[in-house]
Amino acid sequence: MLIWFLPLFLVFLMIGLPVFFGLLAAPGILLLLNGQERDLTLLYRNLYNGMDSFPLMAIPFFMLAGEIMNRGGITHRLVEFSQAFMGHLRGGLAHVNVLSSMLFAGLSGSAVADTSALGSMLIPAMEKQGYTRKFAAAITAASSVIGPIIPPSGIMIIYAYVMGESVAALFLAGLVPGVMVGVGLMLLIKVMADRYDFPVASRKYSWGERGQASLKAFFPLMTPVIILGGILGGVFTPTEAAAVAVAYALIISLFVLRSMRVSELPDVLGKAGLTSAVVLLLVGAAMSFKTVVSLSHAPQMMADYILTLTENPLILLFLINLLLFVVGMFLDAGPAIIILGPILGPVFIGMGVDSVHFAIIMCVNLTVGLATPPMGLVLFVASAVSGERVSTIAKAILPFLAVEIVVIFLITYFPALSMTIPRLTGFAN
Amino acid sequence: MVLFDGLLRLLSGINDRLLMVGRGIGIFAVAVMVAVTLLQVFCRYVLGNALPWPDEAARFCMLWMTGLMAPTAFRRGGFVAIDVLPSMMPRRAASLLNLLLLMVSLAVLVVAVQIGWKEVTGLGGRFASASLYIPTAVDFSAWYRVPRSWMMASIFVGVVLLILVNLELILRNLFQLTSDRDLPPIDMGQTQGAE
Repeated sequence: MLIWFLPLFLVFLMIGLPVFFGLLAAPGILLLLNGQERDLTLLYRNLYNGMDSFPLMAIPFFMLAGEIMNRGGITHRLVEFSQAFMGHLRGGLAHVNVLSSMLFAGLSGSAVADTSALGSMLIPAMEKQGYTRKFAAAITAASSVIGPIIPPSGIMIIYAYVMGESVAALFLAGLVPGVMVGVGLMLLIKVMADRYDFPVASRKYSWGERGQASLKAFFPLMTPVIILGGILGGVFTPTEAAAVAVAYALIISLFVLRSMRVSELPDVLGKAGLTSAVVLLLVGAAMSFKTVVSLSHAPQMMADYILTLTENPLILLFLINLLLFVVGMFLDAGPAIIILGPILGPVFIGMGVDSVHFAIIMCVNLTVGLATPPMGLVLFVASAVSGERVSTIAKAILPFLAVEIVVIFLITYFPALSMTIPRLTGFAN
Repeated sequence: MVLFDGLLRLLSGINDRLLMVGRGIGIFAVAVMVAVTLLQVFCRYVLGNALPWPDEAARFCMLWMTGLMAPTAFRRGGFVAIDVLPSMMPRRAASLLNLLLLMVSLAVLVVAVQIGWKEVTGLGGRFASASLYIPTAVDFSAWYRVPRSWMMASIFVGVVLLILVNLELILRNLFQLTSDRDLPPIDMGQTQGAE
């Protein structure tokens, strides 16, 4: 009987009930119908206990750090740095767009922040150089998905917390897939640039000029080194590393670059707080949901059902990627992870898939979903920044999505791609 | 209609003020979270002596930040939902569906507020926090150990505020269904997820 909470939850989602309420309403109704009213208190307690967590605090901190860096003109320096190294290539600004996204990913971990920060700067610049607006918006949206793949990553922190994984292991496992997406996009740009005669962005910089650009970008580029170095070196916990990233971003924005004023701080804190509050409530609700998932034996039933389809793990991984991709088309990555992680994770881990490997497949696939039509979040952000229609960007992004789908399948079927670094550093088995 | 209009404006005014105060406290809470976590890093790694209270103080602030700021996000449409179906429906039908969804949300919140009150005033709330004390004398000679209920109240207060916002949204929907007049808009701002 209790298992019916899953279809009921899906109905709630489909008709537009906010995920937070759906995560509580569907199990709550089934508990009531099942005569388990007392367990409603358990739902509430798990909602509260789910939020009362020190590791979870990394989410508001990383959001705050990204917000400060965004305001502090750090994006501008990253673009200058990218231009110094890649601007002279054919299709230079498109390459600069992708490289800047990879660098920005090491600071913020948010595809939305990436699209709005880089898009507002690079889309007009690309248009001025003769690129179509739809192409500029599409490459900005496509490359922004690297944000939550290369560490730090908001959605990986959520996955790690909900599923009890190591944040450090997930961060490390995301490094190679993130770089693969970036390099894949650049290779496609190269092919397109040769075929459609894309412009070069600038003359070739001398090594002296490149050194100067690197020096200017030195402080922002040090952020991922501090975060990852601190976590891997055992100096900080991920939460403390995130707080240090906030302090570092504040110091360089307020005192070194002097690109942000103290009077802007309340607005920055407020924005990070508002966004975090929604995510934290969702995570709390996910912990309640997870309780009912366990009580209903849903993962076992799901595993039994999936094994009736096929016992071949390669085909199962293909099917799960298909499912995640479809879900990603309609739902943002964070809520999708919160909903599907507790249901699918135990099934595949039980079948022998490494838990960190499964986490990366899920995170990368759902992150790419942020750029897939019809509901891809970054398509809407790119549309708002560029003024181009969502449907037009959705068509223009298809070749780039193809590259990202290839990367998803590569990391699915070649676990060593994502697992080698966490294994070598002792963060995964 | 006049009574309905007045009720909506009253509730809207109350929410405006309460949520503004909530956001202010939330901003302060975020700042304190960062400060105490950094203080802990400094004490642990520089002074080699970790303090007992910063972790719990930071969690205290995070819970209150969530409770006080989430209602603003809800009011601004920042709660994640798949809105394909409502967006494809005619205005009136979409309003009716929205009303139904708000009723479901309200039911969840009403159950939550009842359980929340029992939790805050019950046995669990009477336990003391592990490390949080506040001074009760100017010369810091007397201290009061903060009860867990002070932390637990954060989500209870958040649910109460969510109910107020939900009621306002229900009234706005009813107004749209029954009148062609425009309502004063809600400041939508921008909220996004962890993506």
